[in-house]
Amino acid sequence: MTVKVEVIEGGIPHNKIMIAGIVSTLVCLYLTYLNVLTSTEMFSFFGGLAVIAALIWGSHTIKVLCSYGIGTGVPSAGMIAFGSGVIAMLLATKFGFYAPIVAAVLAAIIGFILGYVSNNILNMKIPAMVQALTEMAVVGALSLMGFAALITGGFTFAGLTTGHVTVMGMTLLTHEQSFLGGCLIAVAFLLGAIAIQHPFNACLGPGWTQDRMLMLTAECGFLSMLVAAIMSFALISTGSALISLIIAIIGWAYTYNEYMVLSKRDAAAWLDAKPIPEVEGH
Amino acid sequence: MEHIVFGIGITALTGALATVAGSAEDTESNIGSQGDPNSQVQLAPQMGFLHRIFNKAVAGEPPAYGLWCALGAGLAWAFMAMQFNAVLAIVLGSVLAVFVQGVYATTAYVGRTASLSKFGQPVYVDILKSMTTVTMAHAFIAIFATVALCQLINGALGHPFPLPLLGLVWGIALGAAGSATGNPYYGKERQYQNQKFGAGVPISASGNIVRYAEAGERNSLDNGWFTTKIGGSAAGVCFGLIVFLELWRTVLFEQVAAGWGAIVVGVLMILVFTVIDRYIEVWARKNYGPYTEAKEASS
Amino acid sequence: MSAVAAKPTAGSAMNPAAMAIGGVMFLILIGICYFIYPIGVMPLILIVVGGVLIGFGVHFVPVGGAPAAMGQAPGIATGVAMLAAGGGLAGLFGGAWAAAAGQDALVVVITGGIGGGLMMAITCMMVNFVYVFGMGIPAASGKVAKDPITGDTQAEYKSQGTEGHGLPFISFVGGVLGGIFAGAGGTLIYLELLEVYTAALPTVMGITATQVVPIAVSAAGMFAVGMFLVNAVLTAYNITGTIEGPHDPKFKRWPRSVVASAVASALCGLVAILIVAM
Repeated sequence: MTVKVEVIEGGIPHNKIMIAGIVSTLVCLYLTYLNVLTSTEMFSFFGGLAVIAALIWGSHTIKVLCSYGIGTGVPSAGMIAFGSGVIAMLLATKFGFYAPIVAAVLAAIIGFILGYVSNNILNMKIPAMVQALTEMAVVGALSLMGFAALITGGFTFAGLTTGHVTVMGMTLLTHEQSFLGGCLIAVAFLLGAIAIQHPFNACLGPGWTQDRMLMLTAECGFLSMLVAAIMSFALISTGSALISLIIAIIGWAYTYNEYMVLSKRDAAAWLDAKPIPEVEGH
Repeated sequence: MEHIVFGIGITALTGALATVAGSAEDTESNIGSQGDPNSQVQLAPQMGFLHRIFNKAVAGEPPAYGLWCALGAGLAWAFMAMQFNAVLAIVLGSVLAVFVQGVYATTAYVGRTASLSKFGQPVYVDILKSMTTVTMAHAFIAIFATVALCQLINGALGHPFPLPLLGLVWGIALGAAGSATGNPYYGKERQYQNQKFGAGVPISASGNIVRYAEAGERNSLDNGWFTTKIGGSAAGVCFGLIVFLELWRTVLFEQVAAGWGAIVVGVLMILVFTVIDRYIEVWARKNYGPYTEAKEASS
Repeated sequence: MSAVAAKPTAGSAMNPAAMAIGGVMFLILIGICYFIYPIGVMPLILIVVGGVLIGFGVHFVPVGGAPAAMGQAPGIATGVAMLAAGGGLAGLFGGAWAAAAGQDALVVVITGGIGGGLMMAITCMMVNFVYVFGMGIPAASGKVAKDPITGDTQAEYKSQGTEGHGLPFISFVGGVLGGIFAGAGGTLIYLELLEVYTAALPTVMGITATQVVPIAVSAAGMFAVGMFLVNAVLTAYNITGTIEGPHDPKFKRWPRSVVASAVASALCGLVAILIVAM
């Protein structure tokens, strides 16, 4: 016996969130390009902000898709989003400056085909499926690109595959200590895949409210940015990594607190060490 | 020869670490109530059975543990790239991964329970305060053991995958093994302790989970003790066997007959487990007997 | 996991028109690869074979979902995509090791398959162990009157009010077969991508073959994991979340999944190969 979900309408319409999401993600990704223009790595934190923007958009897409009852769990949607996104993202990094746009377009094509396959060949016949899978693939690709920019300072293939190692005082170029060589992309993959499906999964229920879910997405995003910033200490300069880390900590603390406030607003009761309330008949 | 002896020694150590990891993983997921049994914790208030169980709805165990272990491994990799000592790096990585796990657990509990406000299910802040640190502690053991075994596989046994990717692979495998073995034990035996032992839960009883315990109202902390009775150990043995046998057959037999040696040994192992499984199944049919007479039962 | 009520889908109906379009898409994708990067066509076809193996193999794995966690349905009480991922990745682990040891391709793929099968065999055995010795419940199927392999009658061993529980022998065998196919498929994808990358990346990036090894291994490994998850989730959509094993009527839906996996794997494989072509 499974639980029924009553979809509560209201709040900001999905298309508005989608447009805001794609615009802000692309803007933040391109702001990391300032790293190249200024020859520093200080603007890497925009990569983390791009991730958060993409996740907010993506979690709402998952809400739209999973409200139809696809028969499997919510986490699968996150997995297929990032599974298709990672491949698009890595090919896109070969296009230098145009990488984010190429990633979005390529992922959209992949997501569209996967959506068509699911809806028609697998006969799922869910109205929102094709658009949702398209959007989720784009979210997956752009989030991974954001993580890459946060951890390495850029989104080009060369930047992702080279790093530096200090041997006896000399700095040498290496491929093993890099984002791709050390497979930090696997960590980014799972960070994003769990973060995109967690907000809807955790706020699931008849009392779902949009602002609470989106605040939770922001919190998950900042938390992911926090640990990714710690990992970036190995690949970018300490000062830049510190900037990302401080922004992530402040952002996370704020959104976590706000989320608790919103949950307190929505909960039936907020009790501390009280017994189970008596409900008649049970 | 030395090479093989060294390999066997490392394999034994990874097997032991894997057993500990599996046991801790199952205990942690039962204390937090994660995965498929958690649907009952979600369902109960909707049927009018309010409770004080921790509702940790963070995906299922395989993806969640995939994340914690990959994250721990990735952080350990980053620390080692910054020339930290390997053990310290793994410990720090596991601590930070556990922090993330704890945060996800709290937001999941608060979020799911707040969405059940229509049925009057309260958010119990004291559960949040007491349960979170306990699940984090068990998760730390599981994550640390898994990341340590990944480091041994990569560093000492020479597997080509870098540490974070190994963390992903073994994290998901850990979650799958622990979840498969431990979920029914928690779901049927603990949550539905009031149902008759030795049978599945009838569909009519859905949602009517046990909410009053031996002393006072049931909370999830007691699930830790309960899990270690058999579920945790079974999950530990399961994951330990998986890791140990996979490494053992490769280390010993990889070079025999250009790789076919390891394959033959693998097939033999699968057959052995098939025989054991068949024995268990027949034993149950013989010793427990059918629920009804063969003629009366309807399919 | 989700608590959303499953909406009744169009069931097991095949959609011939869509399958035909799927076939056409598949051929177009192979054609694109042929025009842009001809030496990538053979690896691409093998990647598709790997993806189809994964998609097909996941149908064998017995998954019961949330009801199985209460002893109300047979199967393993985990999500199908992630359980298959657990088995397949354990297989990929073994296969990657064999590849690094320089073994022959056939040996590598079979090693991967055996690794996945071994993981599933141990897991399924322990599931039955817990059901029988921890919970006192024998295994029973809800979909067939007699186990197809052993001939054991199932109906009287099903407790009242449930659809069955545990892992009857056919489900165990299904689990092992699923692990073998999924492990072999994932390893095949990894092996092909690894060969493409180690051959082409040195010239693309301007470095030596030994230097490219970590990049090639990581990229191939990550893509194998990604494509694995895509194929497994598509299969999960195909069986709408739960299946008892090869004896389940839902198993007959596998043709849809083969076409879907072929198209998805061709698409993802093409994009992965184009990394060295562009």
